Amino acid sequence: MIPDTLKTKLKRRVAAAITNREAAIDVMKSLQAHYGWLTDEAVQEAAEIVGLSTLQIEELATFYEMIYRRPVGRRVIHACDSISCWAMGGEALLAHLSGHLEIKVGETTADGAFTLLPCCCLGNCGEAPTMMIGDTIYGRVTLESALEILKRERGEI
Amino acid sequence: MPKLIIDDITVEVAEGVTVLEAAQSVDIPIPHFCWHPALGKAGACRVCAVKLLDGPIKGIQMSCMLPAQDGMVVSTVDPEAVAMRQQVIEWLMINHPHDCPVCDEGGQCQLQDYTIACGHGLRRYDGKKRTHLNQDLGPNIEHEMNRCIQCYRCARFYQEFAGGTDFGVMGSASRVYFGRFEDGELQSPFSGNLVDICPTGVFTDKTARFRARYWDFDMAPSICPECSLGCNTTPVARYRELLKISARHNDAVNGWFICDRGRFADKKVNSFDRPRVPLVNGSSSGWGDAVDAVAKKAAEFAPGSIAVVASSRLANEGAALLPDLARALSGAKLCFFSNEVICRASITAASQITPHMAASLDDVASADCIVIYECDLRQEAPMMLLAVRQAWRKGAPVFLVGKGAPLEQAAAVSVEAVDLDIIVEAPIGIFDRPVIIFSTMRSSAAEIKNLMAAEAKFAPLFDGPNGMGMAKLAAANSTISLESAVKSGLIKGIITIECVIADELRGEIPIIAALDWQMNSSVKNAGVFLPTTAWVEMNGTFVNNEGRAQQFKKVMAPGIPVSATLESGHPPRIHSLDVPGGEPKPAWEVITEIMKRL
Amino acid sequence: MEQILFRHNRPGRVVTFEEYRSEGGFSALKKGLTTMSPDGVQQTVIDSGMRGRGGAGFPTGKKWSFVPRNLPGPRWLICNCDEMEPGTYKDRILLESNPYSLVEGIILACYAIGVRHAFIFIRRGYEQAAANLKNAVAEAHGAGFLGENIFGSGFSCDVDIHLSAGRYICGEETALMNSLEGRRANPRAKPPFPAIKGLWGGPTVVNNVESLANVPYIIAHGAEWFKGTAATAEASGMKLFCVSGHVANPGCFELPLGTRLGEIIYGPCGGMRHGSSFKACLPGGASTPYLTAEQLDVAMDFDPVAKEGSRLGTGGIVVFDQHTCMVGATLNLVRFYARESCGWCTPCREGLPYVVHLLEKIEAGQGREEHIQILKEHVQRLNYAFCALAPGAMGPVDGLLRHFEDEVREHITKSRCPFGGS
Ligand SMILES: Cc1cc2nc3c(=O)[nH]c(=O)nc-3n(C[C@H](O)[C@H](O)[C@H](O)COP(=O)(O)O)c2cc1C
Ligand code: SF4
Ligand code: SF4
Ligand code: SF4
Ligand code: FES
Repeated sequence: MIPDTLKTKLKRRVAAAITNREAAIDVMKSLQAHYGWLTDEAVQEAAEIVGLSTLQIEELATFYEMIYRRPVGRRVIHACDSISCWAMGGEALLAHLSGHLEIKVGETTADGAFTLLPCCCLGNCGEAPTMMIGDTIYGRVTLESALEILKRERGEI
Repeated sequence: MPKLIIDDITVEVAEGVTVLEAAQSVDIPIPHFCWHPALGKAGACRVCAVKLLDGPIKGIQMSCMLPAQDGMVVSTVDPEAVAMRQQVIEWLMINHPHDCPVCDEGGQCQLQDYTIACGHGLRRYDGKKRTHLNQDLGPNIEHEMNRCIQCYRCARFYQEFAGGTDFGVMGSASRVYFGRFEDGELQSPFSGNLVDICPTGVFTDKTARFRARYWDFDMAPSICPECSLGCNTTPVARYRELLKISARHNDAVNGWFICDRGRFADKKVNSFDRPRVPLVNGSSSGWGDAVDAVAKKAAEFAPGSIAVVASSRLANEGAALLPDLARALSGAKLCFFSNEVICRASITAASQITPHMAASLDDVASADCIVIYECDLRQEAPMMLLAVRQAWRKGAPVFLVGKGAPLEQAAAVSVEAVDLDIIVEAPIGIFDRPVIIFSTMRSSAAEIKNLMAAEAKFAPLFDGPNGMGMAKLAAANSTISLESAVKSGLIKGIITIECVIADELRGEIPIIAALDWQMNSSVKNAGVFLPTTAWVEMNGTFVNNEGRAQQFKKVMAPGIPVSATLESGHPPRIHSLDVPGGEPKPAWEVITEIMKRL
Repeated sequence: MEQILFRHNRPGRVVTFEEYRSEGGFSALKKGLTTMSPDGVQQTVIDSGMRGRGGAGFPTGKKWSFVPRNLPGPRWLICNCDEMEPGTYKDRILLESNPYSLVEGIILACYAIGVRHAFIFIRRGYEQAAANLKNAVAEAHGAGFLGENIFGSGFSCDVDIHLSAGRYICGEETALMNSLEGRRANPRAKPPFPAIKGLWGGPTVVNNVESLANVPYIIAHGAEWFKGTAATAEASGMKLFCVSGHVANPGCFELPLGTRLGEIIYGPCGGMRHGSSFKACLPGGASTPYLTAEQLDVAMDFDPVAKEGSRLGTGGIVVFDQHTCMVGATLNLVRFYARESCGWCTPCREGLPYVVHLLEKIEAGQGREEHIQILKEHVQRLNYAFCALAPGAMGPVDGLLRHFEDEVREHITKSRCPFGGS
């Protein structure tokens, strides 16, 4: 369950919206930030806060890329697989990450630290290959620097 | 009025009509999945491609999206258009399971038809097929998502047209999924229309699953007997069993849809326990003896001491004979209604309303103001609620007047209604096309008289499919309610015609004879029982709530369903040349038989 | 060379509000609101001949003029900062260095169209740009450039920032409106066009970040000046070209519209990276057909690039060298589109995975001659999709089949990828 303060804040967001629906994405994102992913419980809560049905929240949640309807690790690695990164070795980087983390693309590491997902162009094409971990964008990632970055994201350095 | 040429035929249509509809108007069929007359255009499936050879727009266009314009020259047979339509079918068939042999849609499947029509016969794609898990959508509707062609009709109907909130579309790209948040029964009172509106076999009627093939159906145009609106239906039967009911299109009445009550109501017609043979004092008897017995018993009563009681379940053909029957029974009291208040309310509504004042469902859907007066449409006329929603979607305010009009009914179709205590608070006067909906079961004659003084159209609701017909006949034949007949103390015996009488009302008065097709207390207590046919077993007429007389046709012959089993698990063993259980006759025929004996 | 949008740039950081103002920032706003009528602002933008920088190249002022003048009810302006087209990152670079030109441009556009309330729709991943914009909007409010009665002109305006939850299709203007309304981002049918019936049914203008950011400079210096900054007489204004791929020095450069492709690659980009030679490029983002080495002379402006069989698109140039398998590149591009399809219409939802399947087979050496024919049919028939995503997705396939059919066929005849791809 979310704390009352968050609920009040989100209800205020909905009240300020032009229509309830307009606030739906914001509400889902806040709930996701709270839980780590949009749990079934979060869908129920979002529905109640926004004034839609759970199905109507699900219609949105399953459409948008950055709403996770399955558990993810503490950090989600979004490795760009679009054309500029592809041209600059993005496929190798993704394979490297997957090998190093010992997970397949789409999976979460056993310690729950990382989920590895391919993603669309991150708008950092000039610095390809690119990946995003949480809200941080990393460019010109090499096979070596990738491991450094993971260490830093793990809090090891 | 744009004038255009489609495949060398000149067509003139009203402004705003699409090329697809213009073609339909001259019997040129253009394949379509996502376009639906009630839902309009979506432009999603792209199978309605035609080529514009000349005029203001040229090239391949989707005919469902394109308003007809002057000077257009349209070809539906141009090779490029044909190739595009074939391509669309190929795309749709890439992931289709091709499981027609085990699909209830087979034979009435738009996907089958258009796959043949568009000429896609050879599979070129050799990749894997996408598959989905199905959901349990409750007892009525089967879900088989792999057959989906993503035309979005279901989601558009469910949420936009019917205001349901628990079913829709999830996912994106090539993984869109039509279903619920989780397994469970669909909540909309109109969910069954998914079965009709889905052009493929994703939604099929679970209650009749695997029971018959389309080409083996016994079916005929019929009318729903579940309320007084007279929605048009097509019941489907096979081997003397009513299997399922689907909506039949009628723009003035129900449009393309019916409610779940009409579709999934208990199929009492099939009941093995249904009384099917004439009974005299509880023992089966031949028709002749039974009718003789009625005449003989009736003769024992003094003139004017018998009440002939009918209900609005009775079709007009039978009802129209009742005044003659009453006379033949030496002045029997004729009662078309049991309850005094309802009787007077019904007669008032029926005699005050003129064809000009009566609102059809279509009038309701195009009203600019709706008043629902002291009634709950969920109970009394579900399809009226769907019509109200259409008016609301176009901007009409909806007023719920009185405690008898709960807000929950509006919520059932996601309509935001205004709750009022009394009718004068509704600003009817400022609207051009207001409609007032009321019920003869909830409002008194005086209230109705008062209501009907307003400048508006009216949609009265009655207590059964032939309610208006009965009320009109009742008014024309100076009938009284059974309640007042009994109160007079003169009634010593009752004949019921497709009618159940409350025990308190009847008291000690014996039922001389009962005509019916359902088992009920009248039948159980009757001296003589005469089995009548149900609406699907006969031709007949119901007059709906707005005074529209609509015929229903015989779908099947009466008889014990071939599939019937006894408690032992065996089918009944009946050895006879006649159809077992085939005795019931239409009520009008039975009434005629009785009159012949009097 | 004179810069327009990049003129305030500070190395490694965002320009401050004070710096921007001290260099003439918001003077165009004052000029517009206090000395020009809304029609005057609109006319100046029309006269400038600026074409939209979001991909379709529709003249910006003309788009504004489609908004009915006297319709009651709210009307809206949406700034499209969805920028998810692979190879495109110009809007991010701009907003990470200077968010103020956009804010100023939005207010001027609102003034010209009579909009009280504008939205900036920002994609996921552009958190820095969003933060900059939030600050800029707050600062503009503080200085009285936003809010009630700006400059005492009687004109009031507010800007809201909407953070997307991610999907390429949200960049399509009608899908964007659905997304803003909290719906699934399926595009809407046109007509009615957004200028007549858009966000919440009201007249709506959708403009790209770069288009709007240029507006203050057009107002400040005039239509003729703006036109004159282009490299050719036909072109108008400067353009942000963001280059990626196998060049020595990829980056985002503001250059006169109409600069030759070769001049961009061998100028600011420093030519090809070591050991590489130019094979082909996407001239304007992932949806534009390839240009080849023979076409390096094309002036990078809307019509000249169209004449070469491609599109200027977003100005996102992705360069490929001689080691690139064009089947592999195209496969990557179509995979992106197949995944980003909104799932509404059949050609895109089913056709793109079909194309992916065929390209996968060809790349894996399992292609057959008839696959080329099926691909050609798809290039044709995906034009009949509901929105521009699917035809855009076929851009690279079209380019592949026009310029590199031999390379495709080589995959088929050799039963393997000649570049050693899988
Ligand atoms: C699939 C698709 C994605 C698009 N993405 C963007 C985008 O991210 N940013 C953008 O400005 N325009 C995008 N557009 C173009 C917009 O629909 C619209 O034309 C543009 O925002 C108008 O701005 P302009 O007139 O200033 O160019 C996209 C179009 C399509 C079909
Ligand atoms: S939906 Fe139609 S085509 Fe598909 S299996 Fe059923 S009958 Fe066959
Ligand atoms: S389930 Fe049926 S109606 Fe719904 S989208 Fe699929 S094919 Fe169309
Ligand atoms: S082409 Fe069709 S499926 Fe693809 S994004 Fe556009 S509307 Fe959606
Ligand atoms: S019927 Fe025209 S696109 Fe589906």
